Amino acid sequence: MIEFDGASVRTDDGRTLLHPLTLSLSERRISVIGANGSGKSTLLRLVNGLLVPSAGSVAVFGRDTRTEGHAVRRSVGFVFTDPLSQLVMPTGREDVELSLRSRKLTAADRRRQGEAVLRRFGVDHLADRSIYDLSGGERQILALAVVLAVEPRVLVADEPTTLLDLRNDARVRSLIGGLDQQVVFTTHNLDFALESDRTLVIDDGRIVFDGPPPEAVARYREIAAAGIGGT
Amino acid sequence: MRGFGSTLGLYQPGSGFLYRTPLSVKAIVSLACAVVVVTWRSPATSAVALVLSVGALLIGAHRTFVRVLRMLLPAAPVLVILALYQGLSQGWLQAFAVVGGITACLLAARAVTLTTPLQDLLDGAAQLARPFRVVGAHPERFALALSIMLRSIPYLAGLFVDVRDAARARGLDRNPRVAVTPLVVGAVAYAHRTGEALAARGLGDDAADDAADDAADDASDRSDPHAD
Repeated sequence: MIEFDGASVRTDDGRTLLHPLTLSLSERRISVIGANGSGKSTLLRLVNGLLVPSAGSVAVFGRDTRTEGHAVRRSVGFVFTDPLSQLVMPTGREDVELSLRSRKLTAADRRRQGEAVLRRFGVDHLADRSIYDLSGGERQILALAVVLAVEPRVLVADEPTTLLDLRNDARVRSLIGGLDQQVVFTTHNLDFALESDRTLVIDDGRIVFDGPPPEAVARYREIAAAGIGGT
Repeated sequence: MRGFGSTLGLYQPGSGFLYRTPLSVKAIVSLACAVVVVTWRSPATSAVALVLSVGALLIGAHRTFVRVLRMLLPAAPVLVILALYQGLSQGWLQAFAVVGGITACLLAARAVTLTTPLQDLLDGAAQLARPFRVVGAHPERFALALSIMLRSIPYLAGLFVDVRDAARARGLDRNPRVAVTPLVVGAVAYAHRTGEALAARGLGDDAADDAADDAADDASDRSDPHAD
């Protein structure tokens, strides 16, 4: 359960990135759609505690992101749009093992668990290849694997399919769809949004629609069309 | 970004006795190489150190001579300048003693990183820093910082080549400011992204570090961390 209580985000120079927001997110799959710069990523970063609200609060399973940020980050995994921003080790095996370092494991156990995680996501054959030698899709699946290696209760994904071709887009969507975790994701792919249980539409830092995906997508199309007409 | 992770990268899977040698032994031998070369600086010492370090890579890591030479490419410009300077000012035998010694040390260090998985290096660095826990240091954070530093070298090398190519494509390769400014901006952006990625994964947090440090303590009590 993720709860926003009057959470807003302002920059130091007074710009409002997210207007006060109060809502609870309990569905298994929640999508967030909106134009570039509308505040989607800001909203996601609040969930993981990467960003703390300027006013109000955000809590994940009752833990406040401002006062219990470490605990929140342990239970909320975050996947970036660009997997190269996510992967900090030279190879997938080393990155998965890096994730597992926060667990009480011996080196041998860490290696075994890392191997099991890579096998589970079907990327064990890429384990020792440089992350730079992998395709965009392989990297994104690896990025998901390193985040899910520590079994977070919530997965937050910021446009996880934006940089992918159609086949890899389908692979990542299918993988996310099959996860046990609650998933909150932003996307420009409206078909992906339609696969969720609930969709938030953000425009200029405000939630302008919150409800079933088909209606949300229709509302977003109206906003986009109005934007084109207005320019 | 180009695939510099593979050409300049750290561990590369392979076979040979160096892969089976414990990290502590490899690290001590590598350190001893540096101590000997610095303490008894002479052409003969450098020659012996060079033969041993090249031989270790050829036999102990099953690398070809060409691949061993390629490992020196990133340092080649500095080594050549140093050799010329030493040769012209001190004589060519002295130049060989200095540059040969440095080359032997570089190859000995490369033999360690080439044949040791980064996570094992991390474990080793964390163990090395364990005594400093009494003064409030976090061994796991020290090891993480070290691994991020090592990881950043190939990234920045790749960024340098990308920036230079971009400048060339625009006919601006003769202007050093055009090459340096994006490199600095790119390096800062990379540092920012890496920090954010670590924070998002909870790595480097006090709680996570404490857990990892405890794990390292337990692991070292129970078993050899290098054992498979």
